[in-house]
Amino acid sequence: MNGPDAPEKSLIPQQFAFLEPFVETWGHLRTQDERYAKRQALDQEELEAFHAALAHRLEEVFTHLDQFDPQALPEAEALLFRVALGLTEAAQAVEIFGQPRVPHAPFPHGVAIAWNGYQPH
Amino acid sequence: MVNIEEHMTKARDLGLENDRVPVEYYTSAAYFRREQDMIFRRAWLMVGRVEDVAEPGDFIVRDVPPLKASVIIARGKDGKVRAFHNTCSHRGVALVCQDRGNALTFRCPYHAWIYRIDGSLSAIPAEQDFPHVDKAANGLAPIHLDTWAGFIFLNFADEPEATLPEFLAGLDTMLDGAPFDQFPFSIQVSDEIDCNWKNLVNAFNEGYHVAVLHNKTLRAAVVPKDNPHLHYLDIKQFGPHSAGTVPRNFDYDPQAPALTWVYAQMLPTSAPDVAAINEGRAGFYEHPGINRLKIPNFGTETITIFPNISIQPLANGYLFYQFWPMSEGRMRTDVRIYSRHAPRTLREEFAMASTLAATRDVVVEDMAMSRLQQIGFESGGKKYQQFGQNEPLLRMFTRDYEAYLAGGGMPRQPDKAEAAE
Ligand code: FES
Ligand SMILES: [Fe+2]
Repeated sequence: MNGPDAPEKSLIPQQFAFLEPFVETWGHLRTQDERYAKRQALDQEELEAFHAALAHRLEEVFTHLDQFDPQALPEAEALLFRVALGLTEAAQAVEIFGQPRVPHAPFPHGVAIAWNGYQPH
Repeated sequence: MVNIEEHMTKARDLGLENDRVPVEYYTSAAYFRREQDMIFRRAWLMVGRVEDVAEPGDFIVRDVPPLKASVIIARGKDGKVRAFHNTCSHRGVALVCQDRGNALTFRCPYHAWIYRIDGSLSAIPAEQDFPHVDKAANGLAPIHLDTWAGFIFLNFADEPEATLPEFLAGLDTMLDGAPFDQFPFSIQVSDEIDCNWKNLVNAFNEGYHVAVLHNKTLRAAVVPKDNPHLHYLDIKQFGPHSAGTVPRNFDYDPQAPALTWVYAQMLPTSAPDVAAINEGRAGFYEHPGINRLKIPNFGTETITIFPNISIQPLANGYLFYQFWPMSEGRMRTDVRIYSRHAPRTLREEFAMASTLAATRDVVVEDMAMSRLQQIGFESGGKKYQQFGQNEPLLRMFTRDYEAYLAGGGMPRQPDKAEAAE
């Protein structure tokens, strides 16, 4: 049992322990704009490490997530999905730009995003 | 086999000789004030889709920045879509505070005057104290509204100089029946930028910059070897509106792992759905007004609706861009990515979030460049910017912009007095 001073136990499903180092960075972001902001603030090396860990294993992650109702994800799977969604931004930095930020854009840069009639994770 | 060179429309082919434009149009407050009066109070302005108010009682609130207008768009119990200024007849409050919803009545939060969804005034608390107020004459102030292809347009003139079909000048008939309604789901991205709105209008009216500015984001996917400066093909003019055909690379095959995985889940809005094209069920690709040349590597028909809209029908949806001036040096860009449906699985949500990030980053490149352009304009070293033969739509926009500012631009209606004779 965790005492009051023990580090908070991460909830990510056990077979995805390789994503543990990225939970703190990506797992608690709730919107695409927060992920976009995070990507701009990180170093390219950190984005590359995350990409290297996850990009080739997306199918594994989603094969696991396929077993759950998207509208009623258990907290562990919701956390896993939020971490995965971080890659939608990190991949832009790693696969497209070769740097965290869009060249010439202001920093920090944010946009307003609305999914009309759908609540994204 | 189509000879691409032959179909690269040059400015001279359209008789457009205005090869430069004063920088002042992009920097002066006096020009912005004239744009407000002579363009945005006269032209039909697109503000949404009928799907945004699909059911009786559905309403949305939209602002029209150049006019500082707050607009309620609502579908009545009779099924009719109407638009009103969001202002109470009592003492002016913008009474609808939600962005969207469904209601039978609107209640003003200040003193509770109540309006029906059709805009009529239904109740005044302590009505005996307002004997001078005729309820029948004190509904919400209506705004002229019409629709085309499911797009809602408003006109803020007391009496519009032209009907919406007259204003659209044949663009509407060329695109008659185009399947915009097959793509009802949208994700919107908005941003405010320190630049003149016309910088963005122009950026979406030429392909010359794509291989350079979008070198990392778009070049590989859309710039073909036989058209290295992405010259628009087969440009068609409809009054101040236009359409031009843009190719892409059908053999684009991204090798990056995340992108490849996304393509395998759900094709991005922009990617050709080769199987669907071959089977003749690829939406816009089949429409006779789109890709008239029948180029085999068709990318999009870029459709410009004056003054501030660009629409790009694609294989799996369409992209919608709108550029609103807020002042001469600040503007708002609204981008909407339209798809067949909302995500049904987490795989689809991930794929759509990826497409959203990729589409946003392309527009961020355009917006970033438009901001740098404004800094350059305002520095004041140049009195003119210059338009090439390969930028015909920039010359065309400027021609029609000048016509509007001079009081023309709209299709001429027969003079009423003359017609009566
Ligand atoms: S201002 Fe609306 S009820 Fe008074
Ligand atoms: Fe661009």
